[in-house]
Amino acid sequence: MAAGVLLIALVPLFLSPYYIFVANLILIYIILAIGLNIVLGYAGQLSFSNGAIFGIGAYATGLLRLDYGCPYWLALPLGTLTATVLGILVALPALRLKGHYLALASIAFAQSTIWILVHWDGLTHGTSGFVLEPVEFSLIGLKSHAGMLYLSLAAAIVCVVMASNILQSPVGRAFVAIRESEHAASALAIDLTRYKIYAYGISSLYAGVAGGLFVGVVGAVVPDQFGLFQIVLQFCMVFVGGVGSLWGSVVGAVLIISSQELMRGFQQYQEFGFGVLLLVIILFFPSGIVGFLKLRVGGWQEPLRHYFKARG
Amino acid sequence: MLFSYLLATGVTTGALYALVAVGLVICYRTTGHINFAHGELFMVGGYIAFSMHVLMHVPYVYALILAVVSSGLLGLICDRAVFRPLISAPPMAMVIATVALSFLLRGAARVIWGGLGEYVPFPPIVDPSPISFWGIAIFPQQLIVVASVAVCMLFITLFFRSTRVGKTMKAVAESPRASYLVGIKVEKVYALTWMLSAALAAVSAVLMAPLTQLTPDIGFGLLLKAFAATILGGLGSMPGAVVGGLVVGICESFSAGYISSSLQEVMAFIIIMAVLIVRPTGLFGAPSAREV
Repeated sequence: MAAGVLLIALVPLFLSPYYIFVANLILIYIILAIGLNIVLGYAGQLSFSNGAIFGIGAYATGLLRLDYGCPYWLALPLGTLTATVLGILVALPALRLKGHYLALASIAFAQSTIWILVHWDGLTHGTSGFVLEPVEFSLIGLKSHAGMLYLSLAAAIVCVVMASNILQSPVGRAFVAIRESEHAASALAIDLTRYKIYAYGISSLYAGVAGGLFVGVVGAVVPDQFGLFQIVLQFCMVFVGGVGSLWGSVVGAVLIISSQELMRGFQQYQEFGFGVLLLVIILFFPSGIVGFLKLRVGGWQEPLRHYFKARG
Repeated sequence: MLFSYLLATGVTTGALYALVAVGLVICYRTTGHINFAHGELFMVGGYIAFSMHVLMHVPYVYALILAVVSSGLLGLICDRAVFRPLISAPPMAMVIATVALSFLLRGAARVIWGGLGEYVPFPPIVDPSPISFWGIAIFPQQLIVVASVAVCMLFITLFFRSTRVGKTMKAVAESPRASYLVGIKVEKVYALTWMLSAALAAVSAVLMAPLTQLTPDIGFGLLLKAFAATILGGLGSMPGAVVGGLVVGICESFSAGYISSSLQEVMAFIIIMAVLIVRPTGLFGAPSAREV
């Protein structure tokens, strides 16, 4: 076990920069997908705001570094905090909405975030975005990309462990209760408002961290990266893995990012391809890879969204 | 002068939003689902008309008919492939499936009709110079649009009020189970609903195309504007959608004219968020019953 960890820990030193970049992206999207799955798959809130919160995290971290001279180690937590606070503030009016109305309101929020990123030139540098210097890791003797990989790996491990603990705690069970029936949940003395705020808060925290790491890895940010395609990509990850499965999100993020990288030459078919993929998953494999495995592996304890398939 | 110009523009675009919004409302009332790919059906309808009219030189009226018919067929295909399997699934499945469908259609349009950000011009069908009514300058195309939308609305109202099929659709909207029990083929009614709504989207696309330019991305923005209209009027209310569409169009054109032109894009989002937060039932919608 220890040798294995050591081996994995040494791998970044020998990988080519491109593979380090892809590994970084995968780790970042694991964090994002878990955050989305908590709000979508566990708490059952159909929110499209995750891509925009991700963008806010990325912009806050990047702009703190670029325009306010914050070092990265300070900008990352501050950027995450900004995204989390904004995520919760936005969630407050959305708490009384559900289903179609929530989906609509969150799409409107996501689109207006992009609009603000494009039009508030003085703060966000407008349509063309901005470019940052690579994050410095020479203090501990690492190149920027390898250093970022260790940072993302640490963040991803913390996020997975934290999510796993939260989801097994009374809070996680309350999320599932709310998803299955809000009326039943409130009859069980579950405070709907409080737990929904928790769910939005956790997912915004995850999206914020992911955004901060993303800007550290990629170094260049434009508003378009956080549009609707971003959220469809994240939906693909959550659904391919399995709605309401923590490890499903990890598997989904790995599969989607690797396939996106493998098909870099066919970018014009990307929208079409992921649209078809998401549709096929929802129509034919509504509980994703984990749902498929669950039939064959005994004792898998996860509150999957089993009624997702059409009835009658 | 500016005022009357802005009002004319606002009413024209508003009338088109209303037509798209009515398509959404018809779907929502009958099936209980919102079609997030409705904007893409609009976009595809516009491109089909473009291919016919500009590339193959089919006269405008025939291009319109062909575009409407083929969009209706596309609606039928979507019904078989996506809507019918998910009709009794929870709203979340249908929302995500239709979002996926919208990306599929948009990606397909980009591959077929051109690359990212490429705008396709659609020539004006009538003389583009404005005519003057009591000192108010109005473009003939605007008159055609408003008149055609009014005709469409009249047709839809008559369809629901006096034809057998329209009444059947109303019955299914009221209660699918009871309709099934009295012998209505509910699935066929659903298929017809999606077809009708796709055809309406195509009509509005063909009317709008000469006023603006086509791009594969036009659908989603338009969908959000139609949503703003439906939400403002109350989800599921047909007159509400018409009034909402006009209000959204006029708000957009006035905010663009008097405040800043970039506000035009974001007006719909502001309206959606404001209405959902302040009065989620909209202006004409009844408060929804508690679901257990």
